[in-house]
Amino acid sequence: MSVIAIAVAAESGVPIFSRKRGNNDNIQFSTIASLHGINMFTKCHNLSLLNTKVDNGTILWKEYCKSITLIGIATGGLESDLELLLSCIYDAMVFFIGKKELENLKNIDQIKRDLRQCYPIIDYLLESLDPNSLPRSMIILDSIQSILCPQAQQLQLVLDNYAQNVTGRWACLSIHGHLVATSSDFCELDAREARLLLLLAAAQDGIPLRDTLIYLPLMSPNVAFRAVTCKLLADVYVLVICGATPPLSQIDEIVLQCWEGYAQIIKEAKLVYPRNFPMTISFDPALIGVLVVNINKRRCVFSRHLHGSNQKSRSMSGVHRIDILRTFFITSARDLAPELKIEGDDKDIINGTLSEMYWCSEYHKCHAQRSGNYLCCALYAPSVPNHTMRFLTNQILQDISTNKEVFW
Amino acid sequence: MNTFKNKINYESPCDSDNDWTNSSEDSKYSDSESSVPEWDSDVGDDGELVYMKIKSITKPVDDSNTPLLENCEAFKLRSDFKRSSTRRSTKGRIFKVLKKRKVINKDNGNEKKKEFEDNNKFVIIQVSKSMIFSSEKNCQIEKLFGISLETHKDGKTLVVSDFLPESKAIYTPKVKTGFYLQKINGIEVTSYNINNVLQRVIEDVDNPKLTFQVVTEGYNLDIEKLLTSKSAPENSLTQMLKDAMFSVLYICCNDVEYQTNDDKGVLYCFPRPFNQNFLYNTRGAYLTLNHLAPKSLGTSEPTISTVLHKNQLINITYASQYSDLLLVAIPCGDIDVFAAKRIIAEIVRLLEFLYGSLKTCFTKPNNVDKLDSLFSRIFVTLLNESINKNKDMQCSVHGSLYFEELLAAQAMSLPLEVKLQVDDAITELEAADYREWIDDVESFQRLYTVLGACLYYSGHLLSSHLQDEDLKEVNAYLKLNGILKLSSEKDIEKLVIWKEVFINEHRNQNKNDGNENRIPDGRWFILVVGKGHFILATLMEAGGCTEDAVGVTPPSPFYVEECESCLELLFDVGLNKYLPSWLVSNTQPQIETRPEYLTKHGRKIKEASSKIDLRSSSKLTKSQPDIKKRHNSTEQINMGSTSDNSINNYHSTSQHNLYAQWYNGPIKQYRHSSLDVSYSEDSGSLKSNSEVSEDRIVGRRADREKNRRDSSESDSDWDKQDGSRSSNIDMSEMRKSLLDELNNVTAHRITAGDENVLFHFVHLESVKGILLAPVKNIETQANNLLYSHIIKTFRSAAKKIHELLQHSIKFKRSDTPSNPLNKILVAVKEYGMLFEAPSEILNQCGISKKSCEPFYFWVVGRVFSDPEPRELYLCYHESVPQDLIEVSYLLSYLE
Repeated sequence: MSVIAIAVAAESGVPIFSRKRGNNDNIQFSTIASLHGINMFTKCHNLSLLNTKVDNGTILWKEYCKSITLIGIATGGLESDLELLLSCIYDAMVFFIGKKELENLKNIDQIKRDLRQCYPIIDYLLESLDPNSLPRSMIILDSIQSILCPQAQQLQLVLDNYAQNVTGRWACLSIHGHLVATSSDFCELDAREARLLLLLAAAQDGIPLRDTLIYLPLMSPNVAFRAVTCKLLADVYVLVICGATPPLSQIDEIVLQCWEGYAQIIKEAKLVYPRNFPMTISFDPALIGVLVVNINKRRCVFSRHLHGSNQKSRSMSGVHRIDILRTFFITSARDLAPELKIEGDDKDIINGTLSEMYWCSEYHKCHAQRSGNYLCCALYAPSVPNHTMRFLTNQILQDISTNKEVFW
Repeated sequence: MNTFKNKINYESPCDSDNDWTNSSEDSKYSDSESSVPEWDSDVGDDGELVYMKIKSITKPVDDSNTPLLENCEAFKLRSDFKRSSTRRSTKGRIFKVLKKRKVINKDNGNEKKKEFEDNNKFVIIQVSKSMIFSSEKNCQIEKLFGISLETHKDGKTLVVSDFLPESKAIYTPKVKTGFYLQKINGIEVTSYNINNVLQRVIEDVDNPKLTFQVVTEGYNLDIEKLLTSKSAPENSLTQMLKDAMFSVLYICCNDVEYQTNDDKGVLYCFPRPFNQNFLYNTRGAYLTLNHLAPKSLGTSEPTISTVLHKNQLINITYASQYSDLLLVAIPCGDIDVFAAKRIIAEIVRLLEFLYGSLKTCFTKPNNVDKLDSLFSRIFVTLLNESINKNKDMQCSVHGSLYFEELLAAQAMSLPLEVKLQVDDAITELEAADYREWIDDVESFQRLYTVLGACLYYSGHLLSSHLQDEDLKEVNAYLKLNGILKLSSEKDIEKLVIWKEVFINEHRNQNKNDGNENRIPDGRWFILVVGKGHFILATLMEAGGCTEDAVGVTPPSPFYVEECESCLELLFDVGLNKYLPSWLVSNTQPQIETRPEYLTKHGRKIKEASSKIDLRSSSKLTKSQPDIKKRHNSTEQINMGSTSDNSINNYHSTSQHNLYAQWYNGPIKQYRHSSLDVSYSEDSGSLKSNSEVSEDRIVGRRADREKNRRDSSESDSDWDKQDGSRSSNIDMSEMRKSLLDELNNVTAHRITAGDENVLFHFVHLESVKGILLAPVKNIETQANNLLYSHIIKTFRSAAKKIHELLQHSIKFKRSDTPSNPLNKILVAVKEYGMLFEAPSEILNQCGISKKSCEPFYFWVVGRVFSDPEPRELYLCYHESVPQDLIEVSYLLSYLE
């Protein structure tokens, strides 16, 4: 039950960092050296070791920009996402120090030091593969956890205005680490970049206003931008990407100007948490957890508090519900959305067009259905018959796609 | 010493060091060389034997000759020797016939066959006139036959260039692209006269017959040759396996005794030379990983690595035992990770079965040639399957090895009566009750105790009396050596395999265990005997209460005869006639092979076609069993064939409906004769009857059998025999009971609802190593594009479901909570997926776009954990929800 991620310099074999989660010992230097050695050795023989399976786990080598080798070891049932995890870790590395630095690897000690700032983000990423922990900010690696609230449309105007004022672009608002509202140009950012931005805010928890030099792994891996995170209320952050100007002190004033009048709206939006769905979307009492994924936008909404506060005395803890839905999505339901698969990862592709899927276990039932751009994974009590399950999930999907208060 | 003991001595070579055949000359029972069995010269120095004779595919001469032989004196004596006859008539004395055992001159037959094999082979395919293929090019040939042709370089010969998707199932695997189309309806065709011939075909009422000339190109992967050859595999084969990236490596890691080894612990490597074997060259990586993973990373040992070498994906599977590591590289693509994992497990199982342990397997002196040929057989078997399957299905690159074939031995559910017959025959063999053979039973000691036997027909397990673990090992042996495949594709005339093995129970027995019931320290042998499509594998024990086997132990002709007569008995009962019809009967449980009939539009087609079927009564289609059940009520197990059905009403005179579909005209005559039969104990008449029954196969079934044998002229043979032999029909008790059984054959349905919505199912009992599924050639039988798509989807989805359900099975099996299992995954009992059939396929199946509601089907798998894990996989149409517990319950009634 562990996840380990190791980065080594591909040529020299110098270990850059190693992060782990789970109940295993720290990885020793000699082990890292051996692991790297295996990769080097096979490369010499014109053979590349793509993937190694162990019981209930996977060992993976991945080389990025010919200079960095990431080695991942995961056990515990969610190992199918290991390749995705490694690519996310690489993105995080580029995010902080830029692609050029990683390609050249001139001053390895300096790079090691620089990369320290991405440890918190890497740790967040590792969480999402650890079956024993409740991820704080990311349940699934390939989509951004969001809140659907009716205020999003209004907030978008504010965000657009704010971005304009700081002469920046791509602004968004996060509550409890969930994406709530975005500026209208935010969709230009790749989901991977947007996710890193949100993680950045989560990692800098508690600091009222801060700017960080960042590289956008896909859009501009070599030219740095400035990401400004600003705490508006408790657990509420506004993020924007801008150039070198204006200085932080000026931004402080702009924030005040732009957001002063919207505190009430933000507070209203905050109330949607932890249900995460607008109150106009109602759920059947048989439903005990739901995960809706917007496939194109790579955003997901998870909720386990579907029925207000009066029904808390369910047998299953909330953490467990997240865990079940997450495991269901990662191991099975993702097959419903082949778009989400990483390129070249066709090892367990299923012939044919999937449209629904379910799991029955002794304590719960999971059902997933896809309708157009939406994928809904729902968790039910074990007593719910299959056909009811299908009907209810279908209804949720229809609700989500027709409801006027849903604003992605 | 009594006479029997003497006989045994002669049979048992361990008594004398000199050659066994020499000693037989001294024996008073061998009056001539005729007592030497035909396989005798093939016995190896180590006593092992692989003897095989395959019936030639095109052999009209042989077919007509065989029954005639019976008339001669020698053959009659031989048939007297039949075990079955001795059992049933006390008259039979065995010894006088033992002398006459080998009378038929085999050389003549062999020569003839070779001629036929060497000549150009022809394949004849009959295409139904009613089938019209949709041709994009609006080409007449494509429309009529579903094939596209091109002209050969000589400008005259027509070469098959492609098959239309719908027609694929008709032609493959018999006809391949590149074959020459030689004749249509017996008229030679060239590019010049093809249009005229086609015109004639259109005008003709009869179904056109196409004759293709087989064109063999490249290296022929001949598993028969590999099985029988004792020498190391040829270089060309080794080179081919090397190119295909198959490889084996066995490394002994930190063992002091092999440190001196030049190859640093590499004890075995195939294909060689070492330095050209990529697995050998990169072994360091796998070795390191194998050490590192458990020790430093806290995971288990690696099970499989996927590597990319020379632009080819290869799966490298690990099997480590103590400090040793066996690596097997299997090219990916045809054989996916799922399959590769199971194959390595089977290989380990097989090696342990044959040699006791991996270590002894690779350290046994002078064993390299044997291992080379064993591994080349394994790889060729794998390669053959993937080649065949890739040709069958377009565009399926991943995991073409079938889900069913990987997991366990596929059993066939038989009607109780038939099952009893089969079990009875095997039990008789196992009982080894020789009282009738010799008066003084007490004073002779047996050579072997029969531990158990299992019987296969066309690759389907009919019955197993082996222990579960033994069955798995025997199955691995038969499968990896390609014997099962061979038995389903070819008609075996004679197959005898004899090999020393190490049974599981003995291997795992604690040596110092003082248990009274421990099995003796003896030796064990596997004896495989084949005839027709039957394969009988018997495990024999020497030691304990039997004589100890010492030294080189060649097969005993006595026991080989015993097994052969066990098979003969099955032939006498008529099982060889019954099983092919059972295989196509699609009754237990019945599955829907025309999925499009479940759509609104399909129902209309179905009604229309059933009317046509009624009119053209003599040309009943294969889909007929499906047409039956429309009027049935909601009963779940219902009498399909005898239900109120128009087509059965047509045959209302005939009671036994299984045959009724094929015996059309002649059926009445046949039934008359069978009613006239007088029960007779006479062994001679028994024999003749079983032969006669062969003659009776005419009409559809004859066609089908003919097709299966790829033979052209056999049709006329049947006719000839029919005329000459129909007069002396006699019927034995067994034959009668089997026919009675046929009367009661009913089609069972295991799914709920009015219509049969079941497309496919797999019921796996992994502990027993047995699974139940529709017959292996169901796809060819169905001959339906949509059905093929559904099956393909089912297989790939079932793999995924199976992997997930293993968590739960593992969890229930292991008591240690420390096992790092995901607590969510272990709780999953049922996993279902709903698929939608692509509209292109629906269109091609004649469901037009307008009336096309989406076609959904479920693939569901469920694990039942009590008392031992069983898994059920179902594939059914979405229209009727199914409860897997109920289905499993209903299915259990069929077994």
